[in-house]
Amino acid sequence: MIKHHPSSKLLAGYATGELPASIAIGVAIHCKMCDQCQANVDALTAQLADQVFDAELTEPMAYENEQFDLASEAEAPMDMDFGNMIAAITADDEISEQSMVRSTSITVKGKNFELPAPLNNVRMSNWLNIGKLSRSSLNLDEGAIHSHLLHIDADGEVPTHTHKGFEITLLLDGSFEDDMGTYHPGDFIELNGEHNHQPKTKEGCLCYTVADDALQFTEGFHKLFNPIGSLLY
Amino acid sequence: MRYVMKQSTVESTRNKTIAPATKTRPMTTTAKESAPPELSQYLMAVAADRDKQAFAKLFAWFGPKIKRIAAQKLNNDAAGFDITQETMTRVWRKAHLFVPEKGAATTWVYTVMRNVIFDAMRKNKTQQAESLSDDIWPIEEQISEESPFQDHLMTKQLGELVKKLPPNQQEALTAVYYKQLTHEELAKQLNIPVGTVKSRIRLAVTKLKQQLGANND
Repeated sequence: MIKHHPSSKLLAGYATGELPASIAIGVAIHCKMCDQCQANVDALTAQLADQVFDAELTEPMAYENEQFDLASEAEAPMDMDFGNMIAAITADDEISEQSMVRSTSITVKGKNFELPAPLNNVRMSNWLNIGKLSRSSLNLDEGAIHSHLLHIDADGEVPTHTHKGFEITLLLDGSFEDDMGTYHPGDFIELNGEHNHQPKTKEGCLCYTVADDALQFTEGFHKLFNPIGSLLY
Repeated sequence: MRYVMKQSTVESTRNKTIAPATKTRPMTTTAKESAPPELSQYLMAVAADRDKQAFAKLFAWFGPKIKRIAAQKLNNDAAGFDITQETMTRVWRKAHLFVPEKGAATTWVYTVMRNVIFDAMRKNKTQQAESLSDDIWPIEEQISEESPFQDHLMTKQLGELVKKLPPNQQEALTAVYYKQLTHEELAKQLNIPVGTVKSRIRLAVTKLKQQLGANND
């Protein structure tokens, strides 16, 4: 049972297409696992479409008024170029075949995982192992924002840490616990710099993570790990 | 919600992508218009018959709007033109994936446009040329993976898939593959051009192939 969902702000950003790819991928994977969020996104998308294409609906939505303030411009007359464009497009009789629903699978520590479709065309680095933690970084080229697949082997834990920026964790497989409770596949967890946590897993887990900075370990001995924080996230 | 994300981080990333566009045209009064209900029929006509007139009508309604929206988002008039071309090309090629029961034509075209804009903005900002949008927002109708074929001949399942096709595609497929009519014979019987028969069959076969292919994976 999924208990943690993306904020309505993230769902709206996903519907408009304005989130960075890494975060949009997280929301997309969650929506594939959560019918309710998918339904919310569908409804938002229909509203946005109306708002963008339909000049009569002028009432701006709270989260959207900055992007689509288009009502002030009149409809441009049909361009001459458009006639040529129509001719060029319709001259080609090609039909786009539906892309096959294929899946990518990965093996971490001898265990096989099927990856969700939004990760199909994302390049991944080799797995880096530190004790029970294994991590592969995804090459999305988004500057400070880094996304990873993180696997924690059974009975493993991430030392108590905090985040300088934001961190999104989407649990793909298995389960983990922290002082706030137990998380299950599909749970979408947003954390910020104000929160300390120490995730542990009994059965092992695979997560998709997005963060805009390294984690800071906050407790005693583990502070020694701080230099490797950036390796983990 | 127990966790509260510091919104400013995501906000700041978003704001970069939505810098206000410069207005290139003088402001005039807004023409009030709402989406005509025929749009979805035009889309279906493009899907079923490759109807160029229907496409021209779709273009007349969507084209200028897409150009304006895209030019503003990318802050570049030429990009607005390119995005209109790419979006409308996808509309022409993917119209058969539009499912009227699932939503309005405007919603469907909006998602096509949003994906084209997303890929274009990513291409501008990163060194990567991969299109991720169709993975992130699966625009194609989702194929159910729950009923893998049990029998080798797939006759029953194929029959069910055929029943889900638009009536004119079903008719063409049945006539040619079951009743063994030639394209020309069927065209004559229905009093339509041979090209239309061929494109209906092609659309039908494409759709069946996709569904069977996905199930066989």
